Amino acid sequence: MPPRPSSGTRSEQRLTAIWYVVGFAFAGVSFVFLTIGAAWLISHRNRGDLHKGLPYESGIDTYGDTHARFGLSFYIYALLFVAFDIEVVFIYLWAIAFRELLLGGFVSMLIFVAILLLGLAYAWRKGVLNWR
Amino acid sequence: MTVVGRAWNRLSLPGKLFFTLAPLLLVTTIAVIAILVIFGQLIVDFLAANLPIVRFVVAVTAVLLMSVPTAFLIIYMEMKVIALMNLRLGPDRVGPYGSLLSVVHGLKVLMKEDFTPTGVDSIVFTLAPVVVYLASVMSLLVIPFAPGLFGQDLNVGLLYFFAVGGLSVVGLLMAGWSSFNKYSLLGGLRSAAQIISYEIPLTLSVVGVLILAGTMSLNQIVLDQRGSFLDWFAFKQPLGLLIFFIAATAEANRTPFDLTEADSEIVAGFATEYSGMRFGFFFFAEYVNVFIMSALIVSLFFGGWTAPFDWPWPVHIELNPGGLGIGLLILLAVAPVVGTLVLAAPFWVARSSMPAWQALIIGFVLLNLLIGLGLFALAFLGWEWVVGLFWFLGKTYGFVFTFVWMRGTLPRVRIDQLMGFAWKWLLPASLLNLFVTAGAVVVLGR
Repeated sequence: MPPRPSSGTRSEQRLTAIWYVVGFAFAGVSFVFLTIGAAWLISHRNRGDLHKGLPYESGIDTYGDTHARFGLSFYIYALLFVAFDIEVVFIYLWAIAFRELLLGGFVSMLIFVAILLLGLAYAWRKGVLNWR
Repeated sequence: MTVVGRAWNRLSLPGKLFFTLAPLLLVTTIAVIAILVIFGQLIVDFLAANLPIVRFVVAVTAVLLMSVPTAFLIIYMEMKVIALMNLRLGPDRVGPYGSLLSVVHGLKVLMKEDFTPTGVDSIVFTLAPVVVYLASVMSLLVIPFAPGLFGQDLNVGLLYFFAVGGLSVVGLLMAGWSSFNKYSLLGGLRSAAQIISYEIPLTLSVVGVLILAGTMSLNQIVLDQRGSFLDWFAFKQPLGLLIFFIAATAEANRTPFDLTEADSEIVAGFATEYSGMRFGFFFFAEYVNVFIMSALIVSLFFGGWTAPFDWPWPVHIELNPGGLGIGLLILLAVAPVVGTLVLAAPFWVARSSMPAWQALIIGFVLLNLLIGLGLFALAFLGWEWVVGLFWFLGKTYGFVFTFVWMRGTLPRVRIDQLMGFAWKWLLPASLLNLFVTAGAVVVLGR
């Protein structure tokens, strides 16, 4: 069967790249676990008394519920992040193809970003961006 | 007790080490040579048949092992440079100018007790440093170190970089939540808020580079900046570079944005309850991150491994050692002795108090330095990747130095200023940079 260089090699390359990422993650995880395991083997351990296991909170015994409720501002920042990060993914693809789009692409991206900036302006006006 | 036993007991620790390691090394060397002689052809054939797998194994091992000395070097740099900036001496006991102190620190962390406090969720507690370390090391896969010297040339390189780098937020949150400590929880949430806020300007500020280069592959972006230093994207994207640098500082948790481990406010942030090697990996990841961020700035804006200028006088050295014949053997036998003597002579003549053996040692060290320098010069002329690696590491460590310098100079900012700065200044500025670049491309048509 004659080779098809255009599509065949490209899909092969993509496959190699994916295997690189997967294999690298695997190797990294095993590296960390091997090192922690080696440290566990050669270091001394003892259980200590009750106070050794207590969380370190400036010297006093822990007080109240640790996993307590937290400020709402963290949640709103996370929401803003999700909105803008998805925008970034779109913008990246647009930037790659920008040489072919030129003026049309410029105007459409201007409209797209303007809608998002409207949301940012609303959040700003509401005072969400001020850390409390 | 036998004679051998008594002699063994009388040895000092280095002596015992030597007499254990030397026979082991000898046996290993003989075994390796024997195996190479007997199975050499088979091994070569096997490796040649599985070249992609061999490349994968070598690349992964090299990148993983590279992260350790890199972290050691940056830790030493930080200790020494900040000490000199504060008019202190800094590390000066272990090794020449204290340069081995960070290695000793690493070994110390390895041998420390790795304690798990009572309240923690131990599985998440153990996995958190793994995730943080993996997130920083996996980004090294796409960084082009030199022509032909990179982990993998992904066509979505930059996107992969940010995606994997963003994983570290998950690790920090895991560490903060599982520690069962209010300071840890607060530190974890704070660092998550900081990192995700600065992720937006960080990713948006490189869009200008993407428009100019037309690709996300880091290798292609570096190749686009070939030529003189005027072709670097730093000069076409000054605003993008500024935003990227500030956001990268915040991403790597460096001063002035190191709110996640503000020790005056929340002890050590997410790492409060950690000890031993699990803490060590957070520490490693932080310094590897400094290297990675510098490498990315260099690759995107400062031409990566390309030289800043073309060498105007091309040098060609024709070396043919075989042409000397038997003279080569004589040269190899005579040159070290003569070289050592010649280099030692000035010290021996000039300083009458110096004993001859000291002068000889100095001469020998100088000779080795000269030979090393000569070999490096030959490699620099002969191989393209040596040149590339030289420039890449030079520029990258220049930026690592800048990060250390900022830590020695700047105070920490307040957290409300930090968050406001990201959303109110950097985000609009990066969008402005994007549209100015796109508009310029439309108007100029290239």
